[in-house]
Amino acid sequence: MVELTINGRVVHANEGEMLLAVCRREGFRIPALCHHEAIEPFGACRLCMVEITKKEWKGWSNYVTSCLYPVEKNLIVLTDSTKVIELRKTVLDLQLARCPNSPEIRQLAAEYGVNQTSYEPVVDGDNCILCGICTRICEKMGFSAISTVGRGHDKVVAPPLKEAPPDCVGCLACSLNCPTHVIPYIDNGSTRIIWGRTFELIKCSKCGKPTITRDFAESLSKTKSIPAEYFEVCDECHRREISLTMGSIANWEREAAK
Amino acid sequence: MSHDRGKLEAIFDRYSRQPESLIAVLQDIQKEYRYLPGPALLETAEALKVPLSKVFSVSTFYNAFSLTPKGETVVRICVGTTCHIRGAKVIQQQIENMLGIKAGETTPDMKFTIEVVACVGACAMAPVVAVNDQFHGGVTVAGLKRLVKKV
Ligand code: SF4
Ligand code: SF4
Ligand code: FES
Ligand code: FES
Repeated sequence: MVELTINGRVVHANEGEMLLAVCRREGFRIPALCHHEAIEPFGACRLCMVEITKKEWKGWSNYVTSCLYPVEKNLIVLTDSTKVIELRKTVLDLQLARCPNSPEIRQLAAEYGVNQTSYEPVVDGDNCILCGICTRICEKMGFSAISTVGRGHDKVVAPPLKEAPPDCVGCLACSLNCPTHVIPYIDNGSTRIIWGRTFELIKCSKCGKPTITRDFAESLSKTKSIPAEYFEVCDECHRREISLTMGSIANWEREAAK
Repeated sequence: MSHDRGKLEAIFDRYSRQPESLIAVLQDIQKEYRYLPGPALLETAEALKVPLSKVFSVSTFYNAFSLTPKGETVVRICVGTTCHIRGAKVIQQQIENMLGIKAGETTPDMKFTIEVVACVGACAMAPVVAVNDQFHGGVTVAGLKRLVKKV
C-alpha cells in the first residue's frame, strides 16, 4: 500500500497503480482521451496532466501525465491547480484547432472555457486526434489490421496500402472505442462494411437478428476455442435459453424434493 | 515491376527472417527496386511474421522508403533554413523547369526524381543539392545546368 495525498485528501493505492486510475477511483475527474482500460497507457493526448510535488521538494512541483505516472509514497497531487487548468486549456486549444467540428472535443474544450481555438483551425480535417486507441485495441484483440501511416503532419490511421485490410474481422473494437467517433461503419442487417471491407453478419438461428461477423466468429472459435455453434445464436436468445434451462432445473429439483 | 521471388527470398534469408530485421529488410528491398512494391510488403509481412499493418506503418514513416518507383537519378534539394535563405526556392524552381516535373515527382521515362529535404547538415555549403547521394554545395542556377547535364 502506498499513501499519498490527492487534492488535500489522504488516499491509499496499490504499488504500481497509475495516478489517473487512483484519482478517478477517489472521485476526482480528469479528462483523458487516449486512455483505455484494455490497453497500456500511451501518453498521447496530454489531457490527463496533473501537478505533483512532495514536502521535500521545497516548493518545486512537476507536471506529469497521470495515465503514465505510477503512485509514489508521500506524493502530493493536485488535479485542478491553476497551472494544470492552464495546461489543459492549451492542449484543448490545439485539439480544437485540429478537430474544429468534433462535438466531443468542442464539448470538452467548452468545459474549460475554450470555445474557439486561438490557432489556425484545420480545414476539412478528419477529427482524428491520433490517440492510437483504435490501432492499439485492434492489436490487443489480436488482429493488428490497421496502423498509423506516415508521420508528422501527414500521419493518419489507415489500413495497409490504404486498401481493404486483409487482417480485419469487422469486430468494431476500433470504431466503438474512438473518442471522437470518426471510424465509420455500415450495418445493413446482413452485412457490415468497415475500412472498405464487407463482412457477412451471422443471423441468430433462433430470432434471425444479426449477431457478429462470420470472420470474427471464426477467429474467436479458432483462437479462444469457443465452439462455432455458440455464435449462431445471439446474446439475447442465449440468455432466454439459460433462463429456460434454469427454470427446468428448478422444476426438477421441486419434483425430486417431493 | 520486375519483382521476382528469388531476390526477396534472398533478402529475407540474409536476415534469418527475424521480425527485428524489418527495417533492414525494407532497406534492402528499397535498394533492389528503388521503391517498396506493394506485393513485396505482403511477402515481407509473411516472411518475418510481422503484421502487414506494421510493415506498412514503418514503410510510410521513414523518408528513405518510397512506395512509388523512383527515377534512376534522385535529385534532392535541401530546403532547410540556411539553404532557403541562400536561394533554395529558385534552385528548386530551376530544377523543376529543367526536368519538367515538380518536387516529389518522377519523370515518365523513370530517369529523374526530385525530392526536397530539410537540412542535410551541410549548411556551410548552402544551397545544397544532392544527386544520388553525391552532395553539391554552393549551387548556382548557372551551375545547375552543368550538374544535371552531367548525369
Ligand atoms: S481514429 Fe479515433 S481512435 Fe483512432 S487514433 Fe483517431 S481519434 Fe484515436
Ligand atoms: S474492426 Fe477491424 S480494424 Fe477495427 S478493431 Fe476490429 S479487426 Fe481491427
Ligand atoms: S490519457 Fe494520459 S496522455 Fe492521454
Ligand atoms: S539547410 Fe541545407 S544543409 Fe542545412
